[in-house]
Amino acid sequence: MGLFSKLASLLGFKRKEASILVVGLDNSGKSTIINHFKSEEDKTIDIVPTVGLNVEKFKVKSLGFIAFDMSGQGRYRNLWEHYYQDVNGIIFVVDSSDSLRIIVAKDELDMMLQHKDIKDRNIPILFFANKMDLREALSSVKVSQALGLDNMKSKSWHICASNALTGEGLQEGVEWITDQLKYMVEQNKR
Amino acid sequence: THLLSEHTVIDLPTGVVAFQMDTCDPKVSAIAVASGGHIYVYKNMRPFYKFTLPTLNIEPAELEVWNQAKEDKIDMSSMKEVLESIRTEVGESNLSSRSQRFLMLEPEELEEFVHVHKQFPLKRQTVVTCLSTMKKSMAEDDAVSCLVLGTENKDVYVLEPDAFTILAAMTVPSVPAFLNVTGLFDVEYRIIVACRDGILYTLKRGFKTGRLCVELLSQPVGLLRVKNTVVVGCMDQTLSCFSMKGRNLWTIKLESSIVAMETIDITYLGIQLIVIALSNGLIQLYQDKYLVDVVPAEDVVTGIKFGRYGREENTLIMTTRGGGLIIKILKRTAKFDPKNLTPGPPAAQHMKLSVPKKTKLFVDQTMHERENAVRMHRSFQHDLYRLRLNTARSYVKVLTSSLTPVSTGGSDPLKLSAQIQGLGPVFRLRLEIQNTSTDKPSTNLFFTFHCDVRIYRVDKTFIPIPFLAPGLLYSSATKVECVSELGISDVIKVFVLRENEGVPLITAIINMPISEGMMSSY
Repeated sequence: MGLFSKLASLLGFKRKEASILVVGLDNSGKSTIINHFKSEEDKTIDIVPTVGLNVEKFKVKSLGFIAFDMSGQGRYRNLWEHYYQDVNGIIFVVDSSDSLRIIVAKDELDMMLQHKDIKDRNIPILFFANKMDLREALSSVKVSQALGLDNMKSKSWHICASNALTGEGLQEGVEWITDQLKYMVEQNKR
Repeated sequence: THLLSEHTVIDLPTGVVAFQMDTCDPKVSAIAVASGGHIYVYKNMRPFYKFTLPTLNIEPAELEVWNQAKEDKIDMSSMKEVLESIRTEVGESNLSSRSQRFLMLEPEELEEFVHVHKQFPLKRQTVVTCLSTMKKSMAEDDAVSCLVLGTENKDVYVLEPDAFTILAAMTVPSVPAFLNVTGLFDVEYRIIVACRDGILYTLKRGFKTGRLCVELLSQPVGLLRVKNTVVVGCMDQTLSCFSMKGRNLWTIKLESSIVAMETIDITYLGIQLIVIALSNGLIQLYQDKYLVDVVPAEDVVTGIKFGRYGREENTLIMTTRGGGLIIKILKRTAKFDPKNLTPGPPAAQHMKLSVPKKTKLFVDQTMHERENAVRMHRSFQHDLYRLRLNTARSYVKVLTSSLTPVSTGGSDPLKLSAQIQGLGPVFRLRLEIQNTSTDKPSTNLFFTFHCDVRIYRVDKTFIPIPFLAPGLLYSSATKVECVSELGISDVIKVFVLRENEGVPLITAIINMPISEGMMSSY
């Protein structure tokens, strides 16, 4: 730890750290998205299905993120709810080429929104309509329709089409959630 | 989802299964389609192999006839005659399909038919009726499996997956309709065969013939194995469960007839369900015999499969009669709880009653009954006739002497009822009379009584009855005193008579109660 960061923590800048939860069905590309934000030396080349969860740290626009990269496999999905309590934001990743399982994603989303730790808090939710490069992928508008996002009035949300392999669209989405989190921090100060 | 590839099958398909042919990587499943006398195997969406069932022996006489036809040594009418006589000898099903067709044709078509077909060698072929798979030597999901098929000729074959040779051939006494296979071919296996005669047979490794397992009450429409039991859906809208030994464990009656059946094995919940598509368009899920869920479908579902589809573990795929395809994915949080949906029979019904052992007396009685059944029946019938005769006699007597309290015939339809009031020794006898005719009044009637004068004394022995208007109820009363001191009771007869006539119109017989007053004096 350098002298400067010690000084920074003393002055209270270090508190700018947000924990976000990355959820979505299995094979939707959560770990690949997180991998994209990691620094060059931390990047892994091949992504394997996550078991349980991974905790990753990265920094976007001077805001530090602690990302809980949850496993999307059916048997690990009940772990999600244990992390709802102390997250500042949620990233929900949808495989937009898997039109059949969008209904399953909607089901999981609805369950999450009904959860007592999420229901009454204003948490920004970012949706990634991932795998936009695939031929059979649905557009982000269609994905938001399929998930019924129009009816979600109580939360601030944003959807963007993305391609986690090339990083297309990821920056836009994360900038949105960063702004949201910063805005909320300011709100809380008042 | 969209159509990936389409293949035309010449005959109607009778069974489709996916199976693993070899151990080569990458592991690609093959699809076997049974149709007519062949099994077509497709791999990577391309036709791969065609297996033809072995031909059957042809009757020598039949072969002789067709050989003669080939050399034009026989005319059509005599050929038909000979074939018909062969048919009566060996039965329709033992003829080749060519002869069967020949016998169905009109006389003018025969010549052409023979001309077209006589060049080709005569073959008799059987038809695949059902198709299933069995793992060969390993139980893993992607292990090599054999094809198991039943034929119209009452045979069950097990085919080798690589070279498509017949590994085992077995016979059952009837035509198989459904197959259910468990176990491994190289280790131990058991094939349950539901046949068209409504009987389940079991085949085991090393046996050539099937052993009778269950005789069903109706024809089977579906055969499943759930844990260690066999579940059979029948044409009479019932679902029955049998143990492997053939004991009926339960039977339930369904609201509609069964179209398709499938087992649902949910590993993470550790339960096995039975899903049934009914002809009224409902999909019912049963856990054992308890209904746990009902799913309505838009159309009648004709085919159901459950398993892994893509990345989703528990998927139910259904085809409908109208050609639709329905895919349903099980919710992660789904719970199947039979208790709050169907109460089922009370627990007491399942309790075993402690039936005492058969005594010697019971056994003797049973033996006696078995030996003298005819005699006992005769004597019972004899007694029954006597009883009927006595009844008829009494009835006639009652009718002739007008002992009934209701008189229907004659000029005066009357109804009489009598009541005894009081405890004794003095009673009040209350009489009610009604003219039941619609328009005819009765006149000149009176009551009179008959009783044992040593026991009862009637106060008014003669009561004139006023003009009886139809439908109205008239009542009159008299005092009756019990004069006997012996504490006995008797009957009092009440007559309704017409003046100057000897025969009573109606009679009421009153059984008098014992006089309480007399009893208290003892």
